[in-house]
Amino acid sequence: MTTAATPPGMVDITLDGNVVRVPAGVSVFDAARMNGVNIPTLCHLQNQTPVGVCRLCVVDTGARVLTASCVRTVEPGMKVVTNSEKVLNARKTLLELMMSDHPSPCVRQQNSGDCELEMHARAAGASQARFAKRTVARGKDDSSLAIAVDHDACILCDRCIRGCDEVKSNFVLGRMGKGYSAGIAFDLNSPMGDSTCISCGECMVSCPTGALTNKSVVGTAIAAGPDAQGFEAEDLLQIPVFKGVSGTFLELNRGAIVKRRFRKGDLMCREGEFGSTAFYILEGKAKVSISTPIAHVKTQGGAKGFFKRLTSTLVAREEDKREGETRDRTIPIDASVDLSYGNPVAELGPGDLFGEMTCMNFYPRSATVVAESDVVAFEMLRNVLDIMLKNKTFRAQLDQTYRRRALENHLRGVPMFADLSADFIEHLKESVELQRFAPGQTIALQGEPADCFYLVRIGFVKISENYPGGEMVLAYLSRGDYFGEIGLLGGGIRTATCTALDHVEVVRISGDDFRDMVARFPSVRTGLETVASERRAANQQRMQMVHNVSIDQFLSQGLMEAQSLLILDLQNCTRCDACVNACADAHDGVTRLVRDGLRFDQYLVATSCRQCRDPLCMVGCPVGSIRRRNSLEVIIEDWCIGCGLCAQNCPYGNINLHPFEVMVDDPERAGRKKAAIKQKATSCDLCTHLKEPSCVYACPHDAAHRVDPRTFFAEMLGQGSTK
Amino acid sequence: MRMDKTQRGWALAAAAILMVSAVIYVLYALGSTQGPRGSSAIGLTFGVIGFAFMIFAALLGARKRVPTWRVGRAQTWMRGHLWLGFLALPIILFHGGFHFGGTLTRVLMWLLIITVFSGVFGAALQHYIPRVMTAEVPLETIYDEIGHVRSLLREEADRAVESVCGPIGLDKTSDAEVRRAGGFTALRAIAASAVPLRTSAAVSAGASAAVAAAPEIILLSEEESAPLRRFYLQEMRPFLEHPERRGQRLGDEQKAACAFAGLQTLLPAAARATLDDLTDICDEARQLQRQARLHHWLHGWLLVHIPLSLALILLGVVHAVMALRY
Repeated sequence: MTTAATPPGMVDITLDGNVVRVPAGVSVFDAARMNGVNIPTLCHLQNQTPVGVCRLCVVDTGARVLTASCVRTVEPGMKVVTNSEKVLNARKTLLELMMSDHPSPCVRQQNSGDCELEMHARAAGASQARFAKRTVARGKDDSSLAIAVDHDACILCDRCIRGCDEVKSNFVLGRMGKGYSAGIAFDLNSPMGDSTCISCGECMVSCPTGALTNKSVVGTAIAAGPDAQGFEAEDLLQIPVFKGVSGTFLELNRGAIVKRRFRKGDLMCREGEFGSTAFYILEGKAKVSISTPIAHVKTQGGAKGFFKRLTSTLVAREEDKREGETRDRTIPIDASVDLSYGNPVAELGPGDLFGEMTCMNFYPRSATVVAESDVVAFEMLRNVLDIMLKNKTFRAQLDQTYRRRALENHLRGVPMFADLSADFIEHLKESVELQRFAPGQTIALQGEPADCFYLVRIGFVKISENYPGGEMVLAYLSRGDYFGEIGLLGGGIRTATCTALDHVEVVRISGDDFRDMVARFPSVRTGLETVASERRAANQQRMQMVHNVSIDQFLSQGLMEAQSLLILDLQNCTRCDACVNACADAHDGVTRLVRDGLRFDQYLVATSCRQCRDPLCMVGCPVGSIRRRNSLEVIIEDWCIGCGLCAQNCPYGNINLHPFEVMVDDPERAGRKKAAIKQKATSCDLCTHLKEPSCVYACPHDAAHRVDPRTFFAEMLGQGSTK
Repeated sequence: MRMDKTQRGWALAAAAILMVSAVIYVLYALGSTQGPRGSSAIGLTFGVIGFAFMIFAALLGARKRVPTWRVGRAQTWMRGHLWLGFLALPIILFHGGFHFGGTLTRVLMWLLIITVFSGVFGAALQHYIPRVMTAEVPLETIYDEIGHVRSLLREEADRAVESVCGPIGLDKTSDAEVRRAGGFTALRAIAASAVPLRTSAAVSAGASAAVAAAPEIILLSEEESAPLRRFYLQEMRPFLEHPERRGQRLGDEQKAACAFAGLQTLLPAAARATLDDLTDICDEARQLQRQARLHHWLHGWLLVHIPLSLALILLGVVHAVMALRY
């Protein structure tokens, strides 16, 4: 009804018996709100296009059926009833239906008590649903560092989808599935952490229930000190690198980032320590270095000098070159620069990020960082770092820094790339692609066409090959390692599957650039072909073994994984401990074997390095100092910082930490040195300096043997099976 | 050391030396007008060779003190010790013409006989006991760790009993979080394994802790738990504290099985899991006791053998000096 007194552009309607004047074209929902009548809704937000899917905002307009007020525009003379018994009953039934499909209380209700569905249900007296609960769970997605997804709590209101598409224009979220299995999906139903989601947080702040909730890092808020300054979300949004991040999200993560001021000489972080934060330098310069002596443990004396006692000392590569040791290799650290072997010191400046692996993967700090001048830096937890790493501006800045400062060293760190010309390196700097992979994500799949070559920049990559009945881990690659050359140089097909073990970043060199490189630099081709053939041979050998041995207990004890086992024949062993004493004697009093462990038949598999085929000890080394020789023997490089992660990771307790006294700068008295204890990881070295393992040599009862389980046990098991 | 076919070379060599020596001795004894004497050229040669064998055998101890010296494999030294040490007895008997002589030589001869026979006894023990220990003590641990493992077993048993009986008034000797041999890192690899493993005490105990699901805790009433409480405080706890005491029912596998079977009939079904745990704990404690006993046998004979050997060498030197000088 538009009377003569109604101004143009306005309409008069009757709302719950009262005549009200509202702008033409507004929805009934908005018209009601303008007049102080609150209609409950779940799917509608003021900044989003109304879709009318939840139907909770139904009102009676006198039509045949109730209508969703958020999508129905007002008409002149319209009579709207928002609170009749019919309307209230309809809403209650809708709420009961939704509550029957909702895990009450959901995470949001538990945490903050503001789940919109549960609030409405409680208000309508529909908390207890009359209908049967859902029997099939839709599951949870915990893959994102910032946002937890509980599909069961999702009411399919699409607020998150509209937030992602309309508000932020990211177009990551959508609907997937039909009927009972319908739900929201990221990209083409990828886990959220693996999708192209940039963790802006808009979906989470749009969600009315506990389906998308903030994943705060529990109990690890950064301790604010006298030199630390916390932030309000508004302040953070003024900083360019946070442009595009949801303010609500930053508000929820307040305390996960602080601005710290370090005075000249202040320690920012120490190598080997465990931490959970990363630093982003805003102003000033910092010195990054490794203070643990760059040397390996060497046992000397004994056989060379008849009466000379064996001693273990630290010696550098120049004094004692070990077989399989790489030449002037740079030391990979958790920063945008690598350190050189000869002088492991570098400088970090504004725009540099360090501690990324510590923060994202909880690895120990790889180096010591000391402020060289007054330094201002952000210190952040991983949920904030994750957002920043997904921020295009910040990402581009980091990538640029990496290309400028570290890529060349990184490429030249690969021995066969050392001869690449400067102009080609420059070309690569511009043409390579930097890619990130979430834990568990497949980088390359066995059998796929090989179209690029990868250099590992951050994290650990598992290389595995499928065989009937299982998967065989061929290697773990860390920073500075590369893969993909076998496929490119061979038949053009990937021969193994490469999977990210943690947060991995790789440098991707396209197939064209790779082919150009091997054509222009024959030495690179030769080197790559040699490595590829060595890897193929080693892989074949391992796969051969998989087919030969298949005994439950043998497998369950991990014996198949071992390349060399110290076994004690318990029927010969008189438990005299001559082996342990010999080991201790050969290694300066620190034994590398314990006469205890698992039993296999009459043999005790002593606690001593097994040279595993799946060397879990190598996963996580913050400086990549534990690796294999070409013979697959485990070697600990000189730049081990003694953090002990490899010892912790070894499932068999076969890595020890050998303490040494070294002289270090006295922080209390400048210019003076003081004694300190530093550790180096050690494992059984097979007494290579003494020709034969001392434990075996010293066993008077023919009980101790170093054996290749492939032959030793396979033969025994084979005999057993024929009996 | 096991006396098996790998010893054949040494056995044949020793037999050949013995035969040659015996032939020489018989010829020498028959041709000698005054009978075989130690001071004759042949007798002296037997003496030198016999003493050299003894010296070599005694050097095994020194060899063991420098395990990393590349002066021959310890196994070779051990075999030489066994066979040449054993040959020293007939050679010295040939040296003395089967006469024991004066006081010093008589003492020497008896020392040699006892030393050699203690060695033979020891070799026999070292042949059999490792096999027995391997078969009967699957939960074997490092000998020096037995005391520690026992204390952990006690704590575990205390916890198990208190979980069904409530506090039983025992002093806690260590951190309640400590698990039986917990922390042995091999667990991680086998934790998911469904295959029963034969492992040492440390591994098996830890593995059971790692693999087993947390038991449901059901507290029994005082009346229901009285038999278990009484059994534990009066019988099992003393056994776990002093398993070496003789006459304990739980020290015998059969009697222990009877005791636990009887107890099972007196307790409600809810206590069955705890009772099974206690049975396992007793079994492990018994095995450790068995290991300790076998270990004493395995190495105890050395308390006789080594001092006598040293005395023999010392007096042998005195005898040689006196015989050659006077």
